[in-house]
Amino acid sequence: MNFDYQEIDDVIHSRIRTSIMALLVSLEEAEFNFIKEKVNATDGNLSVHLKKLEEAGYVSVKKLFVDRKPVSKYKVSNKGYKAFENYIKQLESIVKKNN
Amino acid sequence: METKQAESELSVIKKIMEDSRRINIDNGIHYIFWGILVTVALLINYIMILTKTSMNYIGLMWLILMVTGMFIDIFIGRNQERKSRVKTFTGKLLGSLWFATSISMFMFGFVGSVLKAYNPVFICPIISTVLGISYFTSGAIQQLKWLQNISLGWWAGAVILFIFPSVHTLLIFGIMMICFQIIPGIILYKKSNEETVVSEL
Repeated sequence: MNFDYQEIDDVIHSRIRTSIMALLVSLEEAEFNFIKEKVNATDGNLSVHLKKLEEAGYVSVKKLFVDRKPVSKYKVSNKGYKAFENYIKQLESIVKKNN
Repeated sequence: METKQAESELSVIKKIMEDSRRINIDNGIHYIFWGILVTVALLINYIMILTKTSMNYIGLMWLILMVTGMFIDIFIGRNQERKSRVKTFTGKLLGSLWFATSISMFMFGFVGSVLKAYNPVFICPIISTVLGISYFTSGAIQQLKWLQNISLGWWAGAVILFIFPSVHTLLIFGIMMICFQIIPGIILYKKSNEETVVSEL
């Protein structure tokens, strides 16, 4: 049985973006390189997906310098938490409907 | 979206969230720092009592060392926070726990004794009891059973110090500081370093 695709949040619905969101909702804040290691992505790929989440208002970024090196720290916004919660509910309802 | 895909997505999310919860946030630096500082203060206090120094000077010595320690600790904490790659809710919880512990210890160590609410010899077992609570909670938050068990050492020590109050209370408490504060701090520090090396490989 399939689910209405229109109800699924396209911004989160991608393996890498789901992983980023799952990681960030469990943490308060994480550095770019930390996310990269945890989700096994390349710099370019991760940047694109983080940008997409940022544009949707799901994550916010804080840029700073640590020991003269630029560092980007990401965290989930309130809107992001709600969207992720809804996404989980949608996945659970798909599973429930078919069991 | 198919059911199998949804199930797979949910299991990936669950795994990531569980793994994130295991991220080590306590590198033991604060345990080592305070353990050494308090042990040194206890030794100085012991010598001051043996040399019959006035209680006012003993109080002043504690106040100077603890306030200096607090500023150094804030500096260490800020530096660590700036350099840390990740900030966790567990870390925030631990920060609140140890902040509350410090306030309680200040109440018992300074406010209570200055107001002569109890004999100063009982400051050590009271502080030991408070530390037992904090270690028990800290171990539970970090899911570290061994750290949680350290609280038994603090509580057992408190019972001994309550039953046998003497000038040697300070030395016994100093030994407890080394065993139940500095050594666990070193273990946490080593563990944290090993995890950092593994994640950098």
